[in-house]
Amino acid sequence: MSQPRFAYIFAPALYGRLQWFGRLRWFAAGGLAAASLLGPYFGITAVWPSLFIVACVIALYNVLLWQLLRLRKQHVHPFVNLRYIAVGQTAIDLAALMVAVHFTGGIQSPLLPFFAFHMTVGTLMITARTMYILAGASCLGAAAMYLLESRSILQFHPINPGESIEPLSAALSMITLVIALFGIVYLANSVTRSFKERNIELYRTTDQLRERSVELQRALTEISEIEKRKSHYMRISAHQLRSPLGTIKTSLQVLAEGYADPATERGHKLLSGAVERVDTLLETVNDLLELAKIREGILKAPWSRDVMLNQVLADLFDSLGTHADDRNIELVPDFVGVAILDWGVPPDLVHAFENLIYNAIKYSNPGGKVTVQLRIESEAAVIRFIDRGIGISEEYVDQVLLEFVRAPNAKQHAAEGTGLGLAIAKEVIEAHGGRIAVASVAGEGSTFTVTLPLHHVPKQHEPHAKPEKSDA
Amino acid sequence: MSEQEERKTILLVDDDAVFVEAVAAVLEARYTIRTAANGTEALESVAREHPDLIILDVMMDYISEGFDVARKLRMDSATQNIPIIMLTGVDQMYNYRMEVDESWVPSDRYMEKPVAPDKLLAEVEALIG
Repeated sequence: MSQPRFAYIFAPALYGRLQWFGRLRWFAAGGLAAASLLGPYFGITAVWPSLFIVACVIALYNVLLWQLLRLRKQHVHPFVNLRYIAVGQTAIDLAALMVAVHFTGGIQSPLLPFFAFHMTVGTLMITARTMYILAGASCLGAAAMYLLESRSILQFHPINPGESIEPLSAALSMITLVIALFGIVYLANSVTRSFKERNIELYRTTDQLRERSVELQRALTEISEIEKRKSHYMRISAHQLRSPLGTIKTSLQVLAEGYADPATERGHKLLSGAVERVDTLLETVNDLLELAKIREGILKAPWSRDVMLNQVLADLFDSLGTHADDRNIELVPDFVGVAILDWGVPPDLVHAFENLIYNAIKYSNPGGKVTVQLRIESEAAVIRFIDRGIGISEEYVDQVLLEFVRAPNAKQHAAEGTGLGLAIAKEVIEAHGGRIAVASVAGEGSTFTVTLPLHHVPKQHEPHAKPEKSDA
Repeated sequence: MSEQEERKTILLVDDDAVFVEAVAAVLEARYTIRTAANGTEALESVAREHPDLIILDVMMDYISEGFDVARKLRMDSATQNIPIIMLTGVDQMYNYRMEVDESWVPSDRYMEKPVAPDKLLAEVEALIG
């Protein structure tokens, strides 16, 4: 929220001030009314009914002011309107005082000092500039009143009947009035200036604090989400490790306690099954370790310059070719252009792409085709791993990249799998500044799209970064 | 009464084929064993023919799949009397009881994996003889 131009006093404080002056105004009206009633007893005739009318007018507009204040309290932008009210009521007060002064002797009125009161009070609520204008207006008003009275255009109402206008003392009073009014505004303003400035600072600081606490709240929520995810992750990891262990132990116990004979077919199944589970366990542990390392920023090798993705993929085609043949899957490269990353870690990229190609092959149907498409689009290498295999159902598409998530149809098609391959690939790609996205239709196949910006610079090699430390 | 007619049927529900093989080795001497690898298969098998006992793993395709299966079976009047042995990890039992509360449907027995063969046999015998 930008700072309003006149944020030298808080809206609630200004509101409080206006209320306080509203209460003082009753005294002013009361005093004027009393003066108008008592004046005649002291021989001051001009004050009745003039001052009484002024008192009534003051009382009336005070009532209006209170109503206005009450309405403003519910208004959406209380501050701007309060400012107008503050200026308005000071101006009206001065006008009322001017009228009262007229009926009590004009420039020779005993009520003149009350101008000073309004100057002081006004400077506390309004800017100095506006107050100078009001001071000037009051002086001009007083001067005009004197001139009109001295020319008898306006009636002169002296306190002492029979008293006449004395030009010299009138002129001196005028000069004193001008000096006093402007001087008071100046003094009051300089005294309150530091107070006003501190208010502006306070206003700014409060605003900043409010923003900070909102940010803090957001950060805390994020952290607790992360903590929740971490412990959820640990629970699942523990289960994934415990499950094969349970099977191994039970299988071996069954054999050891004689429920099955190792020499029989069933016995043999149990023994080799236990060995398989040991392998599963080892794979899971290795994958978990790898995932953890990548997340900590520990990559398989130091960053290299000018990594050619075409070569990385071509090498993978060579090494996975036999595997694909065994499963009667055709592995097809479709490269347009040469993609060279400024910075990359080849072993990790190999592992990530290998996981993706391996998955594509695994979840394809025999006789199927896996296409690896490489394109260069707006300074990024876009690699699409396309298969026409079992696909991923809608509910699982968003989750397959998470750890240990294996869609049910995947489990049916191929019982083995740690569920971590895609999570590892995702981490590697993101470490290279890239993204990975999944599109799939159950029963028709999947496309995994990897986008790698060609000019991504890893954190430790940024120009202004601290001197690099070697990766473990 | 011939031995064949007296043989009770046990449905084993677990996604690990090796584990299923091990448990079958223990129980096949006295019972007929049927198997299922996930919740859907389990419910289909029960619908085809009611087993005398179900041994159910907690986590198969997703975290609390075993509990969902147990709950479905208990809500159905046709199957609510089939005794169930749930195979869980200790923390799963504790945690899921906290999470599930009033939709918690107790099984007859809980056993922690890895399960000792003779203990399992003893529990089965205690439930269905």
